[in-house]
Amino acid sequence: MRQEKMTSVERMDALLNGRSVDHVPRLSFILGFCAKNVGYPVASVYSDPEKSFLAQMLTREQYGYDSDPFYGYASFGGYEFGGEIKLPDGEYEQAPSHVRFAVEKKQDVEKLELPDVKTAGMLPQAMQFSRNQVANGIAPSVVVGGPFTIAGNICVVDTLCRWVVKEQEIVHRLLRLATDHVLDVARLWVETFGKGRVKMQIWEPLASNQIISPKHFEKLVLPYQAELHEKLLSIGIKHILCHICGEQNQNLPFWADIPMGDFGIISIGREVDISTAIKYFGDRYVVAGNIEPAMLQTGTPKEVYELCRQAIEKGKRAPKGFALMEGCEVPVNAPPYNIYTMKKAVDDFGWY
Amino acid sequence: MATEERTQELVRGLYDAVVQMDEDTVSELSKAVVEEGVDAYYAVMHGLTAAMDKVGELYSSGEYFVPELLLSADALYAGLNVLRPHIKLGRDEKKKQVIIGTVEGDIHDIGKNLVRIMFEAAGWVVHDMGKDVTLSKFVEEQTRTHSDVIALSALMTTSMTAMPKVIAMIKAEDPGVAVMVGGAPLTRDIAIHYGADGYADNAGEAVREANEMLERVKK
Repeated sequence: MRQEKMTSVERMDALLNGRSVDHVPRLSFILGFCAKNVGYPVASVYSDPEKSFLAQMLTREQYGYDSDPFYGYASFGGYEFGGEIKLPDGEYEQAPSHVRFAVEKKQDVEKLELPDVKTAGMLPQAMQFSRNQVANGIAPSVVVGGPFTIAGNICVVDTLCRWVVKEQEIVHRLLRLATDHVLDVARLWVETFGKGRVKMQIWEPLASNQIISPKHFEKLVLPYQAELHEKLLSIGIKHILCHICGEQNQNLPFWADIPMGDFGIISIGREVDISTAIKYFGDRYVVAGNIEPAMLQTGTPKEVYELCRQAIEKGKRAPKGFALMEGCEVPVNAPPYNIYTMKKAVDDFGWY
Repeated sequence: MATEERTQELVRGLYDAVVQMDEDTVSELSKAVVEEGVDAYYAVMHGLTAAMDKVGELYSSGEYFVPELLLSADALYAGLNVLRPHIKLGRDEKKKQVIIGTVEGDIHDIGKNLVRIMFEAAGWVVHDMGKDVTLSKFVEEQTRTHSDVIALSALMTTSMTAMPKVIAMIKAEDPGVAVMVGGAPLTRDIAIHYGADGYADNAGEAVREANEMLERVKK
């Protein structure tokens, strides 16, 4: 292994501010795996900010990736708007899941109100996690869903899908509330930690073309997502990491119109080719991705290594930078050596 | 008794209304089928079922997405609710049966529901186990129903690891049953690795894959 010329902090700072880096940065989308890695229950990564932070710090030390610990979950918004979630506790569970949705019928939407972001859902745990980040010299971060994903977490996805075609005014109301909620969250974090200090992650799986058409994306998702990002940047968020989860190929031209900050990061799934992502975003944002999580779990180290080599070689010359990252969350039961293999691939192919 | 021309008009209307997600029109036309003495079975097969085949094709080819498929299915069920009670018994051959469910640890059921719809539209008897289904329940349901196919769904990389276990459990009890899997993190290679007999990339392909899989398993 060659001697690194930058620390992870220096490498990430350079990446996000348009300066050159010594090698391809390695970001990790890893949560439950960390808890398991240090002997905690998977649920503790969501329920216990101290354990979550410690597990992630120790796992990062072990595997040597550059990204900081973070607190987040994909079903964000459901609990915060009044639904119920269940923390993962079974052998095959890895993330919080919905038990009851805040909205089950049309009339429920009229009663919805913006949550108090100081107390709603898991936000107090997220805030405590950010305080831990700051106490340990790490920039505070906050993770939310995109407005469409939050809308789907507030009501049952099947119902949202039907409304997308038949009852668009209801979808607009949900998207308005979701957008304003994320802005409330961001304002709380900025007020607490200061302008320019907070990093924001937005995960958007439900707007994928595995669910909705690009036509509906353009009409319903794009206006709220664009407004959200513009307002986030205006209130003092400098960098947005946007995880456009799943099959988003037909949405890419629309995502390219959404500002991510100077510089933001577009994190892509295995469904989007790295070269295609660079074509759409490479001259404005860092592209991060797209190692298939299922391959990390079921593939051999040789297969993972080859997948990473191809990803690095496709991404390495991206104009605003490339980071090797998983295409979605690392499976909790992935063989540990496969995670290490991602670092090994960066060591072997990622140097500039 | 409706004329042949009127029968075709109604059946074509049902087909178009399902494809166009028009639940109200499907209800009206289905009532007309009954009132005008058109064979309900013929209307279901050539109107409703044929339309869902087309919807499945549109979904597989990326012209329709989940909202369109769900609304077409709503229209389909609106028609079936009216027409099913009027289908004369004893005329149908033995229907194929499928057990379907999202495996333990996974609460994502939208993909599973789409596959269920396509099986129902194709005339299969569907035993829907729901989501987060304990592995032994699949075995119990197979013992009860002696189904032709068991279709397992998972959206999470974690829950998909339950699949090889449940497939082994099912095959240990009933080696003749054909098991297929599907869901976002799965691929055909993983399906084979897990011991499944079949894999469908999306709901539009599921029934065709099930039929082809049954042929393969019989050989």
